[in-house]
Amino acid sequence: MRVITNSPDETKKIGFKFGKLLKPGQTVCLYGDLGAGKTTFVKGIAKALGIKERDIMSASFTIISEHEAEIPLYHIDLYRIEKGADMDTIGIYDYIGGNGIAVIEWAEKIDIEDSIKVNINLVSKDKREIIIEGINEKDWNNM
Amino acid sequence: MLVLGIDTSCDDTSSSLLDISDNGVEIISNIVSSQAEIHRKYGGIVPELASRRHIEMIWHVVDEALKGTKPEELSAVAVCYGPGLIGSLLVGCSFAKAMCYSAGIPLVAVNHLEGHILSVFLAGEKPEFPFLALIASGGHTCLYRVDDYLKYTELGRTRDDAAGEAYDKVSKLLGLSYPGGPQIDRMAKTGNPKAIKFPRAYLPQSLDFSFSGLKTAVMLTIRDNPRLNVNDIAASFQASIVDVLVRKTEWAIKKHRIKRIALSGGVAANSELRKRMTEMAEERDAELYIPPVSFCTDNAAMIALAGYHHFIRGDTAGLDLNPRAYLPL
Repeated sequence: MRVITNSPDETKKIGFKFGKLLKPGQTVCLYGDLGAGKTTFVKGIAKALGIKERDIMSASFTIISEHEAEIPLYHIDLYRIEKGADMDTIGIYDYIGGNGIAVIEWAEKIDIEDSIKVNINLVSKDKREIIIEGINEKDWNNM
Repeated sequence: MLVLGIDTSCDDTSSSLLDISDNGVEIISNIVSSQAEIHRKYGGIVPELASRRHIEMIWHVVDEALKGTKPEELSAVAVCYGPGLIGSLLVGCSFAKAMCYSAGIPLVAVNHLEGHILSVFLAGEKPEFPFLALIASGGHTCLYRVDDYLKYTELGRTRDDAAGEAYDKVSKLLGLSYPGGPQIDRMAKTGNPKAIKFPRAYLPQSLDFSFSGLKTAVMLTIRDNPRLNVNDIAASFQASIVDVLVRKTEWAIKKHRIKRIALSGGVAANSELRKRMTEMAEERDAELYIPPVSFCTDNAAMIALAGYHHFIRGDTAGLDLNPRAYLPL
């Protein structure tokens, strides 16, 4: 499925709609260049889970940010991780497949089976192309 | 009284011994073992390397900080329990807990951000309360109103990237090494800050910050104009960051009618920020307090000092203390 957005607000709204479809235990892999809008998209997901979007900041510094909610959100950002690094010692796998939803930015640095994949492409200053794989298109259209 | 501080929140292993009395704070030791060299080749922190290095270093660093003082002679051990890298925080917390348990001394939990706010009391001129505190570092950018020790009100914080994080990410885009701040600061001195008009996210209704759009703008500018002078990019980028930090601090001065500002965090070492903040303070007839660089960046002396203020108010932690990666003050 492919969506075009024309502002960070629109990207957030798509994230919100997407977030409403997520279930506990699911993992979302986010791909896109620096500045594509990955964290903006996560803000939308957070809002859908009842988490204040202001509480979602870049997780590049701490790698993992936990957000408590009815369905907890684990915001993971692998920007600073070397590709092929030993993910076991970082503890990433502790957050995957549990009660919460794990959203992973820079997910190309890790192998996760069974994840929903979201590609965000930076088309121009405000325009983004969002490609989502792994959700039921019918559910999306019914929202 | 003697208070030992321990901080392992990011890539520095640090420990400090303070002797604090009514007469003031005496810094007996402030040991910081930087891992910058180890992480430089990766363009950022590598968490598993950070934790391992903390484990290797902590015993030596604490030993050096104690300078022969026995753990039993300490009134308390203050440890930073967040925010930071969880694996790194665990090392400091576990060490502090073990030390307190074996020596039978109280443990105090300190928020890293609180340490940064109070770093201004470690050396030099000290502000009176209330004052405004701007923390700008690789992991944090936030503005507080400080009415007393332990009385902090958050006025604003970044909604996306921290100021220092923007520096690190832009420096990676420019092909510079980690950490990026000092290099961009140096290159900016010979660049034209008006060469490129980068955006400034002032978010007029709030004292929050946003540096993500700036990072995107720099990335697009480099992508579309590969032949631009890098010093001009550095200077124009830095001008945007500094403009926003200074302007928003100025708004806070006006809104809260508090004419005292404390600046801390690694970005407080930036020469342009210091210069522009000093000019703004003079124009506003405000007092500006910036600790020496060694207390602006991560250190355990600030943790020990904050720990002291918790301890004398009876606020100690249990041995079941768990670190937290995400921990707003």
